Amino acid sequence: MSRRTLFLIVLGLGLLAGAYSLTRKLNSAEAAAAARPASPAPEPVAASSAPARPTPATDTSLPPAPAAGNAARAPEPQGVSLPDVDPHKAFGSKNAPVVIEIFSDFQCPACRQLYAATNRQLLDTYVNTGKVYLIHRDFPLQMHAYSKVAALYGRAASQIGKFEPVEQTLFENQDKWGQSGDVDGTVAAVLSPADLAKVRNLLKSPGTVQTLQALIDKDVALGKIDNVGQTPTTIFHSKGQTYPVAGAMTFEVLKNFVDQLLGQK
Amino acid sequence: MMQSSPFNYRRAIILIGRLLLGALFVYAGYAKIFLPNFIPSPMFALRFSILTNLSNFAMQVESYELLSRGGASFVAHTLPFAEIILGLLLLIGWQVRLWASLITLLLLGFVVVVSRAYALHMNINCGCFATPEPLTGYTVLRDAALTVFALVVTVLAFLEARAPHPWTAPRQS
Repeated sequence: MSRRTLFLIVLGLGLLAGAYSLTRKLNSAEAAAAARPASPAPEPVAASSAPARPTPATDTSLPPAPAAGNAARAPEPQGVSLPDVDPHKAFGSKNAPVVIEIFSDFQCPACRQLYAATNRQLLDTYVNTGKVYLIHRDFPLQMHAYSKVAALYGRAASQIGKFEPVEQTLFENQDKWGQSGDVDGTVAAVLSPADLAKVRNLLKSPGTVQTLQALIDKDVALGKIDNVGQTPTTIFHSKGQTYPVAGAMTFEVLKNFVDQLLGQK
Repeated sequence: MMQSSPFNYRRAIILIGRLLLGALFVYAGYAKIFLPNFIPSPMFALRFSILTNLSNFAMQVESYELLSRGGASFVAHTLPFAEIILGLLLLIGWQVRLWASLITLLLLGFVVVVSRAYALHMNINCGCFATPEPLTGYTVLRDAALTVFALVVTVLAFLEARAPHPWTAPRQS
């Protein structure tokens, strides 16, 4: 066999390997795209002029379960109209000029990084001062075994007004319950016995669990419409513009961006 | 009548290597800077999306547990640009021996780091192209193959430099 023939064979094998690798990547990208439900054209983000949807002030009862296939989006009484905001998992003034939606998975390390590095300061600096309306959206990933359970506990805790401590403990102890699956034990450490009993009762009732699961599924559906492919994904809404950003960010970077958004005329 | 020079395997491999490795490195650097977030306007949003991408890459570097937070941040903010520059220099074909050697050393470093992470069963993202890519045996093999290829290209480039220029007229006896 001549050297030229040998060279051509090696070159051909190399090209085949490269083509195979590329095909694998394309196929996985196509499969991921096919798994996404057909998304309707997103509604334009605009200042809401519709009558406000009544939201309970301190009501701890569950929001009504969404009807199957419900695509109606009641506008929120705020500068930006967003669909299906669970008031138990939204923080700040609804009339804030900037709205931030965070699609998050409790078992995702990057989400923990975002929570630890950024969220606390975001709440103190912008949310509590009325500049940002923060909405937490559940987006449990299939690859995380216990993230759905954690999301259910988070939802149940939000119904009794205890979402923040539960969120904090779930992220801080992510490594432990991520291995053991003991979400209940993790949550029990930060709730009083009475509150823990309320959460457990909510999760024991099949009807309530179904309602909570439907709320989580609604968040996931919204995320898929917004092409959320990884967690955390933060979507900024300001002055009719939407800026989706995947991955964690430091507070300094976020601060700079939010200040620019607030300074826009 | 003019005749073309005879087919030379060494120069062919060097050319293919330059193009492949150069393009790969340029893409790797581009992906780390502009993926997965790219908001072209306004300018402050573009800057924000780039900073977020580099921040994500820093997190991936940190997950290898080899560098401090500051070290990971330094690597994250310099490596993508170094990759683009090295890739372009290799594509251009200027000082091939030098840049091919550097790229080989860089790839060798990547293989060592990735192999260590794989051996320790670290459940992390490769961070090779910034988009989520779990670190598996395939990643180690791919990086090892690229390193071997880069080494071959580098060695051939040195050998080619010692050979007489192909346009040199043959000595007349």
